[in-house]
Amino acid sequence: MTGHVPSATAGTEDVVAVVVLLTEFAMLRAPLLRSQVRLYAFQSLAVSVLAVVVAATRHEADVYALAGLSFALKVVIVPSVMTRLLRDVEVDLAGSAKLGVASSTLVALGVSVFGFFAIGSLHVHSALLPETTLAVASAVVLVAFVLVVLRSDVVSQAMGFFSLENGVSIASLVVAAGLPLVVETTFLFDLLVAVVAFGIIMRVHHGRSKTLSTDELDRLRG
Amino acid sequence: MTVGLVVVPKAVQALQVLTIVLGAPLVSGVIAHAEARLQGRRGPRIFQPYYDIVKLFGKETLVTDQSSWVFLAAPVVAFGCYLIVPLLIPVLTTYGLPLGYMGDILGGGFVLALAGFCVALAAAESGAPYAQLGSSRAMTFGALVEPTILFVVFAVGLITSTDLPYALAATVRSSSEILRPGHVLAAVAFFLVVLVDTGRIPVETHTGTLELGMIDEARTLEHSGPALALLKWGSAMKQLILYTILINVFVAPFGLSSNGAPLSVVGAIAALCGKAMLLGLVFAVIDNLFSKLRLFKITEFLAAAFGIAVLAVVVFYVGPT
Repeated sequence: MTGHVPSATAGTEDVVAVVVLLTEFAMLRAPLLRSQVRLYAFQSLAVSVLAVVVAATRHEADVYALAGLSFALKVVIVPSVMTRLLRDVEVDLAGSAKLGVASSTLVALGVSVFGFFAIGSLHVHSALLPETTLAVASAVVLVAFVLVVLRSDVVSQAMGFFSLENGVSIASLVVAAGLPLVVETTFLFDLLVAVVAFGIIMRVHHGRSKTLSTDELDRLRG
Repeated sequence: MTVGLVVVPKAVQALQVLTIVLGAPLVSGVIAHAEARLQGRRGPRIFQPYYDIVKLFGKETLVTDQSSWVFLAAPVVAFGCYLIVPLLIPVLTTYGLPLGYMGDILGGGFVLALAGFCVALAAAESGAPYAQLGSSRAMTFGALVEPTILFVVFAVGLITSTDLPYALAATVRSSSEILRPGHVLAAVAFFLVVLVDTGRIPVETHTGTLELGMIDEARTLEHSGPALALLKWGSAMKQLILYTILINVFVAPFGLSSNGAPLSVVGAIAALCGKAMLLGLVFAVIDNLFSKLRLFKITEFLAAAFGIAVLAVVVFYVGPT
């Protein structure tokens, strides 16, 4: 089991990625919508830190700019917009999930193990590809899916979607740090569009049905 | 290589125990002080735990007429257990000491569990409702913490192919193994275990006076005088022992003496106390940030710790190597 020992920088990336994964698990059990937004802000902070680490160790000046941008957007702007929206709708608790906390955590554990297994069974060994971090990133994406699938309220689903983007950011940061800045920022603007869309959905949905739960939506109206 | 004056291993071993025995109240005092400052209070002096212990040793011991010798023997046995564990774990040195191989990390865990069992037994023996409530709760949650500890040990054992604390620490120190996802997850799980075992928020308010919310604290309610002093001292030692395992085996086994030179041993004592106080500050901050969980939500907390520990083990098997 000892075989391959990661270098200090790859190790640091791993640690930050694991922090992101643990935050994802915390989001899965957070009952308050507000705390979910806060956890998302913390998770995004971790991703920005990862960007700085990658920039410093691989000498990519562009990535510093990306780190700054993602900090401004994901740690400051998105959470504050979401918090404002939440203040308007005056709903505190997330709607009940389709599974209990314990079962959904188990499901999340299962899918994250699958994520690790999937990347591990690819057997790509390259100095340029930090497999472990990639595996953690895939686990983050899968757990975010679980969050989106199991929670039945607009805010949790939006937060799940945004944190899914965080997982993808990690993967893109460690795999393709040298991508041109324009491509990387496109991802971020994608997120911005999603925020606007989800914001509108939240307001319209709440305005119509006075609730944030999506359970109402599967009923036919005549 | 010229090695000058060297402290003989047996003396270092005695020093390990002495460091835990004498340093534990200080670490507790610093944490209590920091906690008070964070809440805007002036707080007790950092040496207050020593004064408390000395004061209690000067008082008389009162025993209910229903309780037997177990009630009085338990604090002494528990204290003895806490004296044994520092022999097994790397408190001051990077190299193994003569008695360090008596037991592995599970052995240390068993000795700690024995101490907890004795205290719970004495509490049940006293016949007082609150003490019995505390002892039954402590045993219940203790049983739920145990699997997490096992999985944490397995996870670390998988990296280092051993479960001797000294060897674990040596592997962690010699490479950047500590930065692997599995190890990070195991360390986080153990951190949560320490949170539970030292009776901190979000599991227990250790400064509270409300008996219904107590777990560990309630067990000592019926003791008085020297017996209570031993129990208080013991729980401070247990706290420092757990901190030492977290720091010196899992997270940061740095600043330990590697050759037994007197100066390096003194440095190691200072380093351990410093690191333990820093860790204590983290716990004090957590204490102020979170609220206590409802009693029936604690199992959920423990399940989360267990889940993380399981993930740590699984990651070793299925993840990229």
